[in-house]
Amino acid sequence: MANKHSTVAIALVVLFLLGIGSCLPKPPSQSGGGGVNITLYGFSIMKESLEKSIYPAFSAKWKSEHGVDVRFTSSFAGSETVTNQILQGVKAQVAILSIERDAQRLKYGNAVTSDWRALPQKGIVNKTPFVILVRKGNPKGIHDFADLAKPGIKLIHPDPESSGGAQWSILAIYGSELIKTEKQSGTADRARALQTLQAIWRNVVSTPSSAREARATFEQGYGDALVTYELEGLLLKDADGAFEIIVPEATIFSEHPIVIVDRNVSPADRPVIEAFVRFLWTDEAQRAFVKNHFRPATNDALTQENKELATIKYPFTVDYFGGWERAYPEVIESVFKHQVQKRK
Amino acid sequence: MARIRSFRHVRGFDVARPTSIGVMLALMMPLVILPMLSIFIVGMRKGFGFFWSSLMAPEAVYALKLSLITSFWATVFNVVFGLLAAYVLSRYDFWGRNAVIVTISLPTAIPTAVAGFALLALWGPQGTLGRFLFPPEGKQLMFTTYAIILANIFVTFPLAFGVIKPVFDTMSRSLEEASATIGATRWQTFWHVTLPSLRGAIVSGALLTFARAVGEFGSTILVSGNLAGMTQTAPLYIYAKYNSGEAGALEAANAIAIVLALLSFVIFSVLFFARDWLELEAQEA
Repeated sequence: MANKHSTVAIALVVLFLLGIGSCLPKPPSQSGGGGVNITLYGFSIMKESLEKSIYPAFSAKWKSEHGVDVRFTSSFAGSETVTNQILQGVKAQVAILSIERDAQRLKYGNAVTSDWRALPQKGIVNKTPFVILVRKGNPKGIHDFADLAKPGIKLIHPDPESSGGAQWSILAIYGSELIKTEKQSGTADRARALQTLQAIWRNVVSTPSSAREARATFEQGYGDALVTYELEGLLLKDADGAFEIIVPEATIFSEHPIVIVDRNVSPADRPVIEAFVRFLWTDEAQRAFVKNHFRPATNDALTQENKELATIKYPFTVDYFGGWERAYPEVIESVFKHQVQKRK
Repeated sequence: MARIRSFRHVRGFDVARPTSIGVMLALMMPLVILPMLSIFIVGMRKGFGFFWSSLMAPEAVYALKLSLITSFWATVFNVVFGLLAAYVLSRYDFWGRNAVIVTISLPTAIPTAVAGFALLALWGPQGTLGRFLFPPEGKQLMFTTYAIILANIFVTFPLAFGVIKPVFDTMSRSLEEASATIGATRWQTFWHVTLPSLRGAIVSGALLTFARAVGEFGSTILVSGNLAGMTQTAPLYIYAKYNSGEAGALEAANAIAIVLALLSFVIFSVLFFARDWLELEAQEA
């Protein structure tokens, strides 16, 4: 009876599958039992510095002070994506965002009830200027943002819908033109800044959803130039020398806030989470950020510890536009969304 | 048409055969075979030691296991449901029957990201039902392993049904009627007569569902929360690695991709060889 054989075979296969199926895997992050777990969601480029330096340093510190193991689980994506995930109910306890506007969105969504501005440095954990990345030898002769408007340049630029870095990049280009016209003629020329931005966006050939994805696209050989965080450029140059970093004369320093997502923090976890957040402004953590090519938030002298960080001639911050409360509606919305994107 | 005939046979040699095989392979090369091969080349370019250590990284192992387990349970559910639905829809006629058939097939055409969002819109903390069942401050159904299984069930819903139903439609009723006249109960008839002839369809439906679920990305990234070592499936892990800045991340991503590719290869080989065997068995029985 061949029938019997096949029944037995099928029963064995089913049993085998049930064997696999019934044992849910143990998360590697929880294999130690005991201890506390901190869930952190961060914008795309925070991954390396946290996983390589900050997490181990804090875990060691907490272990020696309290004898308790601290583990971290984390997820990284574009800043707007992370913010939306948390608003939709993801159980993040801490979030590091690219733009303060996302922290405000979390506050309006009642996920965050504490005031991050009451933290050291108004909640900003680190900074980094915006630069241009080009292919080795700079074949297209790009020396500043305005050169990205030249016809025939293929530009990779992250998507402002999902990426905080993309919004910084727009502010960097627009503000850089304002500041340079101001230096030349005494008044900032908004019309010219808008024209430059429009011309640059005609050259955009790809808008990946985060700064990190934009870099991956550029790395795969697509495009002549990429506007991104300085640390992305340095990481890419370290990994593979086929790129050059072009430092614009005037560019913005992006400032990255951290928030405690109070909705997901139990009273029992609060002490360790607050200790972790405050740890980020210690010299130890700030040095770790600098080693990973960020700029320090606490003490500019630490910048000296990383020789690869460039000197910016005319740096500015979002305060130049009056903070994110004004920069978002006035530049990202009314300049970019209404006058640049619509005209493409 | 003498000219065509002369093309077809040159001194008794059939030209059409090598030509058509050649055209087929030439089309497959750039479209399917070479891209797959590139995954193997990139995944192996840092040597076997690196490939193995990327594969054995705890988070990679976890992601693979999570994919297999969530796909397994989605497959179990969809095969059982596919059997039931195929039985009901081929045996009974009722008002709205065609609407049900169309609805079951819908998930094939819905973008997977939309499927993920649909689940969030229903079960999420602000969802139509989730608002009451899983409020933001309480336990969640979304962003857990169950959410991944739900997403897998949704996107692979029609596959097993689609394979099983045609068999039901063409199955002769006479055997079932015969077994009923001997005095078998409905259940006995189903177990001893109907099910054995469905064996091939069940196995291929299950394998198709499983293969499709293991590779699911679009809906999973929305409903899982994508936490490494918690709710990160293998495709999400690969995606995270592609976007990671570490040296060797691309090779590590492709190492996992190789495993998934091999798994699909095994599944479809089994599908191809086992189907004949199962059909043969069914006829002998």
